[in-house]
Order: sequence, then C-alpha cells, then structure tokens
Amino acid sequence: MSRIRIGRRAALAGGVAAFAGPAVLRAQSAPSGADPIRLATLTPLTGAGGSYGPVMAKVAAAVTEEVNKAGGVLGRRIVLVSEDDQTSPEAGVRAARKLIDVDKVIAIMGTWASSVTTAVAPLCWESKTFLCTVSGADSITLLPHQGFLIRTQPNSKLQVTRVGEFILSLGAKKVFTMIPQTPFTQSTFDILNQVLPKGGATHQSLIYDDKKTTYRTEVDQALRASPDVILANGYTPDTVVLLKDLYRAGFKGKILGFAYSINQKLLDQVGQPEVVEGVYTFAPSPAEGSGAYERVKAAVGSANPDPYTCQVYDHINMILMSMALAKDASGVAIKDNIRKVTQGGGKSVDNAVDGLKAIAAGEKVDYAGASGPCDFDDKGDILDCKFRYEQVKAGKFTLVKIA
Amino acid sequence: MIALQALVNGLVSGTLLAVPAIGFTAMFAVLRFPNFSVSGVATLGAFAGYLAYGSGLHMAGSLAVAFAVAGAAGLLFDKVAHLPLVRQGALPAAIASIATGLVLENVVRLSFGNEPRGYDRPIARDIRLGEIRVSPQQLETMALALALMLAVFAVLAFTRIGKAMRASADNPELAALKGIRPERVAMMASFVGMGLVGVGGMLFGLDSSIDPLTGTRILLSIFAAAVLGGLGSAPGAVLGAFLIGMAEELSVLVVGSQYRAAVGFVAILLVLTLRPRGLLGERAF
Repeated sequence: MSRIRIGRRAALAGGVAAFAGPAVLRAQSAPSGADPIRLATLTPLTGAGGSYGPVMAKVAAAVTEEVNKAGGVLGRRIVLVSEDDQTSPEAGVRAARKLIDVDKVIAIMGTWASSVTTAVAPLCWESKTFLCTVSGADSITLLPHQGFLIRTQPNSKLQVTRVGEFILSLGAKKVFTMIPQTPFTQSTFDILNQVLPKGGATHQSLIYDDKKTTYRTEVDQALRASPDVILANGYTPDTVVLLKDLYRAGFKGKILGFAYSINQKLLDQVGQPEVVEGVYTFAPSPAEGSGAYERVKAAVGSANPDPYTCQVYDHINMILMSMALAKDASGVAIKDNIRKVTQGGGKSVDNAVDGLKAIAAGEKVDYAGASGPCDFDDKGDILDCKFRYEQVKAGKFTLVKIA
Repeated sequence: MIALQALVNGLVSGTLLAVPAIGFTAMFAVLRFPNFSVSGVATLGAFAGYLAYGSGLHMAGSLAVAFAVAGAAGLLFDKVAHLPLVRQGALPAAIASIATGLVLENVVRLSFGNEPRGYDRPIARDIRLGEIRVSPQQLETMALALALMLAVFAVLAFTRIGKAMRASADNPELAALKGIRPERVAMMASFVGMGLVGVGGMLFGLDSSIDPLTGTRILLSIFAAAVLGGLGSAPGAVLGAFLIGMAEELSVLVVGSQYRAAVGFVAILLVLTLRPRGLLGERAF
C-alpha cells in the first residue's frame, strides 16, 4: 500500500505558501500610491438566504468596479471584501470580526436575516463601522446603534400602514384580520386599529393556531362580524387552509394578503381558480422604471432583480458619496454625511459616478435609488418606498398598481 | 348557534382523529410502549396517498396505498429500532420512536421538499342545514373514516387474528400458552396500527394540504385522544378523539385558537390526575 508522505519541509513550505498567497493577491489589487478604502458585503451566500446573497455581493462588486474605473473616491481605490454570514448569527459574527479586525473595513453592507443583523450590529457600532442592512424586524433600528446603522427594507410599521391605506382605498367599512401568532402580530393589530378608524372603517381581529388542519370555527367567528374585507395575514400553508374554508363558507367580500404568503405556490396548491379569484396581494417593491433600477438590471444581468439586490446597490452608492462629501473615509464620516447625500433636495442622482462628479463640482446631491427614494429618519428607517399591489384574476397574478 | 356549529366542526375533526388514535392505542395495547413515530408515519402515509391519488387512483385505492406504505414503514421501524429496546422498558422504546419519527419526517423533507402540497380535489361550497353548515367533502371524508373504523372493529371482534390480538393485549403469557405466537401478533399490531395512522395523515391532508410537518401537527391530539379514552382501548380512543375534537373547536370560542395545543395538554393532565386509566379503562376492546 502506498501512502502519501508529507515531510516537515514540504508542510512548512505549503504553510508559507498558503499564508503568503492572499498577501500576493492583495498586493496585486492594492494601488501603488494611496491606501485603498476597504468596504465589505456580508450577505448570506449559503443557508436560508443563500439564493439572494450571491447576487447582492455581485451588484456591490459591479458598482465598485465602475467607480474605480472612474478614479475611485478621494483619489483612492475601493477594495470590496465579500464574506458569507451563512444566514446564521454565529457565522455572521465570526465573519464581521474578521472584516473589522483583519480587513479593517469601514462599512459593512447587506446583512439579510434579522437575527444576523441583530448579532452583528453591536460589533459595528463599537468599532465605529457603518452598517447597512436589508433586515425588516422593527427591533433592529431600536438598537442603541448611535447612528451607525441604516436599513433600506421597510419595517413592519410602514408595511402595515400601507396595507391599511390600501384596504381603505377598496372602500372597506368592516375589516377583519386573521393572523397566526408571530413577532409582528400585536404590532399589526395596533397599527390597523389606528389607521382603519381614521378612514371610517372598523377593525376586528382573531389570532389562529397555524398548526390546525381546519379553520371552520375561526371562519365562522370572523363571519359573525360580517366583514367586507378580510386580511389573511399568515404564511402559505395555513393561508391555503384558510382560503379554502372562507370559500366553503361562502364569503363574498374581498380578501387581501401579503405576497410572501399568497404566491404562485399557494395558487398551485389550492388548485381551483375560483377559490382565490379576486384575492389582492401586497409587497414592498423596488422602484421599477427608475434609472437606478435599470442600472441594477444591467449590472446583474437580470430582467427582474430582487428587492435585496436593489437595496445593496443603494447601500454602496450612498456610502461612496457620503465619504466624498465628508472628504474622509471612515465610519464616522459616513454616519455624519449619509443623510446629506440621500435627502433634503439637490441634484437627483441614481449612481455614485454621477454623484461623485457633482459633489466634486460643489453641487448638493439627492440620491434616488433602485429600492426607493432612500430617505431616512433619525433611527435609520426609510421614510417611504414603493409597494406593489396585485390581484388574482383567472388564476393569474395581475398588476393593480405600484405606488 | 355558533357553539352548535363548533360542535359539528369538532365532530367532523373528531372522526378523522379517531382513525390514527385507534392505531396508536392498538399498538400500545400489544407492544406496550407509546409509539411517537406516528408523527412521521402519518406524514409518510399522507405523501404515499398523495402520490397514488396524483397518479390517477381513486380515493379508496389511494387510502389503501397510504395504509400499506405506512404499515410497512411501521413494521420496519418496530423491528429494527423499537422492539429491541422494549425489553429495557417502555421509555427507551418511546424515546427511540421520537427519533424514528424525526428520521421519517426528514426523509419526506429530502424527497419532497418543504413546500406544502394539496390533493387535487374539487372544493365545493358548504351545504346549509338551517344555521349549520357542513361541507360535502367533509361528509365524504367522514364516511370513509367511519367505514374504516367499522372494518377495524369487525376485524377485532370476529376474525382469528383480531381475537388473537385482543388476547395478546389482555394477557400475553396466557395467550402464548394457548398457542398464539406473540411475534406474529406484534407484527400485525405494528402493521395495522401504523396503517391506520398513515390513513389518518392522509384524511387530514385531504381537507388542507400536506407537508413534512403534517403528522407532527396532529401528534399531540392523537396522543391526548388515546390517553383520554384509556391507553390500549380502541373504543376509548374513538370516544377520546370525539371529545378532543370538540374541545379543540369549542376552545376557539372561549380562549382563542392560539391555545389549541393547551387543550390536549389539559386533557392529558386531567386524566392522569383524576383517572389514570382513562375514561374507558385499559381494555383492548
């Protein structure tokens, strides 16, 4: 039997090569003169978010390349490091430590899962590293982040407020919400109880168990309130059962639900078009048709880029311009200047190259991104974004409006 | 009136629940351990029936496929994993059955994915009888469940193997002395018991949709029904299933449906405290 023998010298040589390799590679990408500015994407390349992360990292790399070609920022090259958070807080923290301590990045972009963002955020604000996230949980912007965090994903308050306004626009007088127990159940009730009465509608609600195999009694209870609109606010498996039971009970009013639950898979499972006919769906939407959105399409080579990719495109553009405005490349400089390039009027720009030119010429810029207008409040939440409303007609989703 | 409607709804879900509950309790009567792999087997049965129904088989045929596949899986796991441990006591076997249930659930997950699937069955509007509404589909499902239960009771009452199972459950030593082979009865109990559980999984899936967690969702209700009626008693399981079914629906009106799981636990707690043998006591028939 032959065995591969690795002598001590060979092992030593291999080790040296392994350690030196990245340094050689880094030396090649580093500029000859000034120190490069280091930024990072920390996206889920694997795990539950694994289908989104790679494209998110790709769009950031595309913007970096474009800006480097146009001369970089403050005369310095941009170096983008990409790490994988594995959609797991533990892995996310390890990767963030490496990015902050070893790579010395000044900003991290694209954390996706709320749990990952929650775990990574303290490392960032303690080291004065700026963090841009696409996570939606309300709790994230309530962290004591001292301004070192912004998010481009609408929080549930914004989403539910818009749902309420849309329900009112359907002419609803009596609204009934059916929802399982989730972290956003109570806030959904609270927000709808504020929004709906203002438009002259009453609101009642019921929490159901998402593990039940039938909702006949729950439906009976809801129908006793004789609602004209039912908000079916669950996930796909329970919403399938709920919609079937609403149909069986002969409910004739309007039904509305979130697009992450009422999707093509749900239609396939229900299998019978008349059960879901006329159901409205609702989702945050990228700013389709905007200049920035077109640029994202070209950068990732997709006709229909997902909202997270659009948001990371916005992250890197905003960061690059705020450093240029501050004439300083640091987390603090980004924190103090990011709102000066994203809101408050000025020349509207949809990419960093144009924005950097305008800033160099002494103009005030107002960035309008691929995910929306990118205006932030003091906590770091976006003030507004587009939403996409669709309706099921003859078994197909048809666009009602993007607004 | 809404309470009456809830009772009717509870009666319907109780009928469906009775089928796997009989299977669970029959296995306990003969094999002397609570087999918690019913969660995985119910899921397996539901998916086997789904494939059969999707391939064009009619409903009764698909239920037979669900029965056979689930029964075979139950037999295999009992042989390989559970029965060798029963000699050490009921607890090791029960714990092993939780593990095999998880294995089955994940086998289904790896084969079919996490997406829920629906049987391609026409959905009809409910029939109204005065203020009470019932769905024609539920009546059909209920009739299937009732027919199956009658068949099981007929087998237990009138056939040799049924009598042998009851004798074995009542007193294994005496039954063995009379020439009843305990291994054969044990195999029969595994197969028929799990077959019923598989059919139960499919019956529940018919009305809603199926995914790898289908069986896990009904596990607590099955267990509570069997304990309530008296572990080991088939008529007890039926009674327990009806009571649990109705209590779960009525609880929606009183405390809200998010506390449904509590109904099962409260039932188990009350029975164990007040009447540990269950409502009908522990008798195989």
